[in-house]
Amino acid sequence: MSSLPLHTRRQALQRLGGGFGTLGLAGLLAQGRQGLRADSPSSPSLNPLAPKVSHFVPKAKRVIYLFMNGGPSQVDTFDPKPLLEKYSGKRPPGTDLKTERKTGGLLPSPFKFNRCGKSGIEVSEIFPHLSRHIDDICVIRSMHTSIPNHEPALLMMNSGEMQPTRPSMGSWLVYGLGSENQNLPGFVALCPGTPVFGPQLWSNSFLPGVYQGTHINQKTDPQKIIAHINNKYLSRAEHRTQLDLLTEMNRLHLAERRQDGELEARIQSFEMAFRMQFEAQEVFSVAGESARTLEMYGSSPFSRGCLIARRLAERGVRMTQVYYGDTQPWDDHTDILNHRNLAGDSDRPIAALLEDLKDRGLFDETLVLWGGEFGRTPVSEKAKGRDHNHHGFSVWMAGGGVKGGMTYGATDDFGFAAAEDKVHVHDLHATILHLMGLDHERLTYRYSGRDFRLTDVYGRVVKEIIA
Amino acid sequence: MTRLLLSATVLFALVSLLGPLRAADPIATGAAEAPGGDRSFWSFQPIRAPLLPGVENVSWVSSPIDLFVLSGLEEKGLTPARPVGKGHLIRRASFDLLGLPPHPAEVSAFLRDESPAAYANLVDRLLSSPHYGERWARFWLDVARYGEDQAHLYAARLYTSGFRYRDWVVDAFNRDMPYDRFVKEQIAGDLLPGPGRDRRQMALGYFALGPAYFGVTDAKKAAAQQLDDRVDTLTRGFLGLTVSCARCHDHKYDPISMADYYALAGVFANTEYTEHPLVPKAVVDEYNAAKEEVAAEEKAIQETVAKASAESSADAKEALAARRARLEKLKEAVPPKYPVAHSVRDKAEIEKMRIYIRGDPHEEGEVAPRRFLAALEPRRFGGGSGRLELAEAIADKDNPLTARVIVNRIWRHHFGRGLVESPSNFGKLGDRPTHPALLDYLAGRLIGSGWSLKALHREILLSSTYTLSSDFDAENFEVDAENRFLWRMNRRRLEVEAWRDALLSVSGELDRSLGGPSAALDLVDNRRRTLYAHVSRHDLDGLLRMFDFPDPNITCAKRTVTTVPQQQLYVLNSEFMISRARRFAARLTSNQDSNELRIRRGFRLAFHRPASAREVELGLAFLDAPAMVEAPEKPLSRWEQYAQVLLGSNEFLYVD
Repeated sequence: MSSLPLHTRRQALQRLGGGFGTLGLAGLLAQGRQGLRADSPSSPSLNPLAPKVSHFVPKAKRVIYLFMNGGPSQVDTFDPKPLLEKYSGKRPPGTDLKTERKTGGLLPSPFKFNRCGKSGIEVSEIFPHLSRHIDDICVIRSMHTSIPNHEPALLMMNSGEMQPTRPSMGSWLVYGLGSENQNLPGFVALCPGTPVFGPQLWSNSFLPGVYQGTHINQKTDPQKIIAHINNKYLSRAEHRTQLDLLTEMNRLHLAERRQDGELEARIQSFEMAFRMQFEAQEVFSVAGESARTLEMYGSSPFSRGCLIARRLAERGVRMTQVYYGDTQPWDDHTDILNHRNLAGDSDRPIAALLEDLKDRGLFDETLVLWGGEFGRTPVSEKAKGRDHNHHGFSVWMAGGGVKGGMTYGATDDFGFAAAEDKVHVHDLHATILHLMGLDHERLTYRYSGRDFRLTDVYGRVVKEIIA
Repeated sequence: MTRLLLSATVLFALVSLLGPLRAADPIATGAAEAPGGDRSFWSFQPIRAPLLPGVENVSWVSSPIDLFVLSGLEEKGLTPARPVGKGHLIRRASFDLLGLPPHPAEVSAFLRDESPAAYANLVDRLLSSPHYGERWARFWLDVARYGEDQAHLYAARLYTSGFRYRDWVVDAFNRDMPYDRFVKEQIAGDLLPGPGRDRRQMALGYFALGPAYFGVTDAKKAAAQQLDDRVDTLTRGFLGLTVSCARCHDHKYDPISMADYYALAGVFANTEYTEHPLVPKAVVDEYNAAKEEVAAEEKAIQETVAKASAESSADAKEALAARRARLEKLKEAVPPKYPVAHSVRDKAEIEKMRIYIRGDPHEEGEVAPRRFLAALEPRRFGGGSGRLELAEAIADKDNPLTARVIVNRIWRHHFGRGLVESPSNFGKLGDRPTHPALLDYLAGRLIGSGWSLKALHREILLSSTYTLSSDFDAENFEVDAENRFLWRMNRRRLEVEAWRDALLSVSGELDRSLGGPSAALDLVDNRRRTLYAHVSRHDLDGLLRMFDFPDPNITCAKRTVTTVPQQQLYVLNSEFMISRARRFAARLTSNQDSNELRIRRGFRLAFHRPASAREVELGLAFLDAPAMVEAPEKPLSRWEQYAQVLLGSNEFLYVD
């Protein structure tokens, strides 16, 4: 990006408001010396987080990704398979696929499925609230990924690669599109605790550090959510006086040196940091929300995550991931009945989020995505549980440019493997980028002599689900 | 690690017309010929001693380096900036060579010394400091993607003795180990003859400390990824070539075939990780025997318990209790684990490597004999894994890349910009050298000096080019805003290591002890140099990550430099900064001096120059202002606030 010559940089700054002093955004000036490619979305400003022009008109402006870490079971949630009853306990042909662990015969779902909404899509009874919104939702029933282990599958879902060597999707999105709010991180990962593999899931990897996701534990006191956001040592007035002295000294230093964008950028960056102390804390506190809103979402940590995700969406954060819980809560190896508890806890806040986004006119421009790193086997593990399954699983999308009330693709008769209109994780990524106005083949970053993409050499936009 | 992505949009479009990239790929035949790439490309040409160019302004020249730089400047009509003042020069040289600020006493001694040799003596003194190795080792550790654990947690291999490799690198720089030797020990230290084998085992950390990927369901694929990491770190690190681009198909731009990639991958496929004991065999045996005894007793107890039933006699229970007591004794008797070096060795059975068709390890093609790159010197490797011959081929003085690549890295760390701005890619998609003749001159000098890096530093630092000021000049700026032709010194931001070390140094707290195990950086009492921080691939320390420390999962050619408000929040509010400010204030106010004298001393300590009248005035006004009424939790005194301003200033963070 500093392929931008310095004099143009200076001219750009002058164009943007008569010099540095009035240009708050310059505070984020990054001197990344490995750069944006010519065919990447254009960057009208020096600020790497400034909003950028997308490749084409986007359907959605931001993503809220509800990540059900651990891997929810498709045949117990969004992909009903009545044949499981008929062949209960048996392993008919096609059910001997290899997964992570030893599995037994087919295990029927303990849950009932109901036809919901005008579309009549069948949804498990464990999602009574969410199913009211089914006509806004597109369920992809033919997902598949490359591996049935949590860590590589989490990486695949987040970065398109099984090894920890690539930037995450959120980092790519902020790199490609910038952020609409300069006082907040462009990519936030909310989790009450840490998902397995933690920071790797929101890593910027070889992209510049500004694109790294910011992990927020929403169970933490809002004052402690962003590192060093709070000054315990000075009153606000005293702090301002101290910063004024610092600025004055930095200005004297700069005056002797002239024409140094980096020095100026750091002066501005201090100002932004000062403002962030007061503004960024506010967004993570739900104290100002109405009683009705708080009631609608509920009070569990995941509910809090969903509500904060809406607050971040309102403020223009490009991507918010809400991990369901610490480590891998959906990993029900021993008893699939536990899915009822997990759904019971998450059903209401997800429904509330969809409703709330609609009420505020944000739904149509916000892409909401629900899913885990893989699915679970229709065959049993330890009699009542289910093993990991990368052959087939379900995710759903809603909002920003997605057709509601439809299902796409299908698994085989038993819900084991994707069978029709298969969608690999790479295809999902390509589709998400497309909805955000980015061509997954053109969003590249030159690193180590190669142009890298989120989708590597793969990816097909699933056009059929786009409204 | 990955598959090459075509960079040109045109090629992308073309390939997408033809169908998916994978299907369109040619399947390499395994022939030793270099593919389409251009072997006449500049970086593959032999290093030649260039003619020294003529210049107009002869009096400016103090080294052949200056001839190359000045002729470029004169050609473009650029004028070199004035020489930097001595105060700035000692600050620049100290940070450059040691990563530490000079002490005010050293500054005043240098300013007083008016002898012609004053600066040369300074450079020599800095080069002989043990802190020089600490500074320069860190640059190499970026290339070596040095990390002490894995990105994953489950059953991850930890490198608790990884620090021995780090210390080996520090020591190699300090002893001025010839660079060709430095290369050879890291690739094949175990196979080199001569005494000091234990130390050379540590050198192999370059590969041994690499990522070990998980392979629960697809061990082959994980192993293939690991080979990719090794080939990538080897070739970009030492040769500035992106050989890993040829994992799935021949390199699109450089003369590197798939056969080349697998010829090198085969070397690492026949090399395995090992923990080499750094004690005599008897000690290892004693430890192992004690561990075996414990294991045997545990097994015996388990068996007894398994057989026991509710009706077991009191005697049997008593006997079991006795066994358990014995087990505890045995456990206590196990001596502490002996020290090891994370190392590698050749596998006992050497196997032929086959090409993975389109990079897929489940689809093997023809045998790829282990050998060096066809475009350079395609001799086949005979013995064992071939690591020793690989090391020799890279360290060969006739290898056109090795010397150029290291010379460029060193240059880049001194000037903030490389002669080639893509330090790990000297291929077609990399940058072209701004001063090709200078690069060859320096490469030739390096080889001629017996590969002495210290001699190279010395030659660079004693040039007029290095001692240019960083002053702005409108006319030069108009022609060469990026300063590609070096009409001035580039102003540079301190790396996070040098910045944190300087903070501790100026506050008078830096623990300058050398070497040893790493410690978490966020421990309150960690006052050691930042080099000694634990480096985690899974969860990199927050301070390091925030200030552009590279991701230790992949080799890093150059760090990005970002300026974000989170860094400034750290400066304003972190415990670390507040503690440094309190200590620095205490250091400045520990005498009966006037505030003015204290301010002046503060400037000398923090910036190595006298304070201006205006700066003193500002400081006094700040210090004399009445205290605020509101009382926060842990108030900072005015002096502490002032000290924090000095430490947080731009002048503290940037070197002119």
